[in-house]
Amino acid sequence: MDYSNLRRQAASMKKSLFDQGYLDEQFCQVEDLQDEASPNFAEEVVTLFFKDSARLISNIEQALEKYPKDFNKWDAYMQQLKGSCSSIGASRMKSECMSFRDYCGQGNVEGCMKSFQKVKREHGVLRQKLESYFQLLQQAGPTGAATRPAM
Amino acid sequence: MASKKQGSATRALVVEDIKVDCVILLRMLRKLNCEATVAHNGKEAVDLFLEGKTFDIVFFDKDMPLMTGPEAVTKIRSMGATDVKMVGVSADYGGMEAFMRAGADMFVPKPMKLETLDSMLQEVIGKKNTSG
Repeated sequence: MDYSNLRRQAASMKKSLFDQGYLDEQFCQVEDLQDEASPNFAEEVVTLFFKDSARLISNIEQALEKYPKDFNKWDAYMQQLKGSCSSIGASRMKSECMSFRDYCGQGNVEGCMKSFQKVKREHGVLRQKLESYFQLLQQAGPTGAATRPAM
Repeated sequence: MASKKQGSATRALVVEDIKVDCVILLRMLRKLNCEATVAHNGKEAVDLFLEGKTFDIVFFDKDMPLMTGPEAVTKIRSMGATDVKMVGVSADYGGMEAFMRAGADMFVPKPMKLETLDSMLQEVIGKKNTSG
């Protein structure tokens, strides 16, 4: 297997995720925490993020239905999701979370609903892309961690 | 990088309910040779102090169930824990005022950078070495 080619592909995939705004510098900070003792730390954190964020999204979905126009409650849930997005560098998701919170501040139900759909969409897209990225890294082998993209 | 002095690793308490944030901060602390303990909300943190546990530095998230970060800071300071360095951490910049009013030593916006954490720990280590 051409491991160097796989590593190049992983690096290219990662650069693309940054160029398209899916990820920001914070993702590199998480990857930098990997070492020999914790070689898969970034993947573990991302897995944890998607598990947690799925739960938070479900909570928000229920709150939108059960607590109509309770913007404070909606905002509180979304604040948690936004925080998690920041922590792993999920930049586009974070932006959509912020839009949702802005709409909460304006008391704009329609805006909140549309924005929430965007949050869910970004969540799904990012999950797919990062799953592909980490699969590629695993195939590339132990030294397969992509380099920091030039920004 | 903050270094470990034999027999005197910096003892950190992380008070955080969001798992992802907790895991990342714990990893940073362990990378910087700290002993880290976790509390999942302000009440658990207060309980640790009530049990007589001591720490060199405590990191508080702001919004948590049962007891918020600023509430926990106020409570722990009122218990006489005036020496321990208390750091408020939040993605919400509005949290700074709440934390400082409660008696925190500083506020750091999330996500925290490793370099920021390292310099805070250097300060704590320096203070420990000076006091002996």
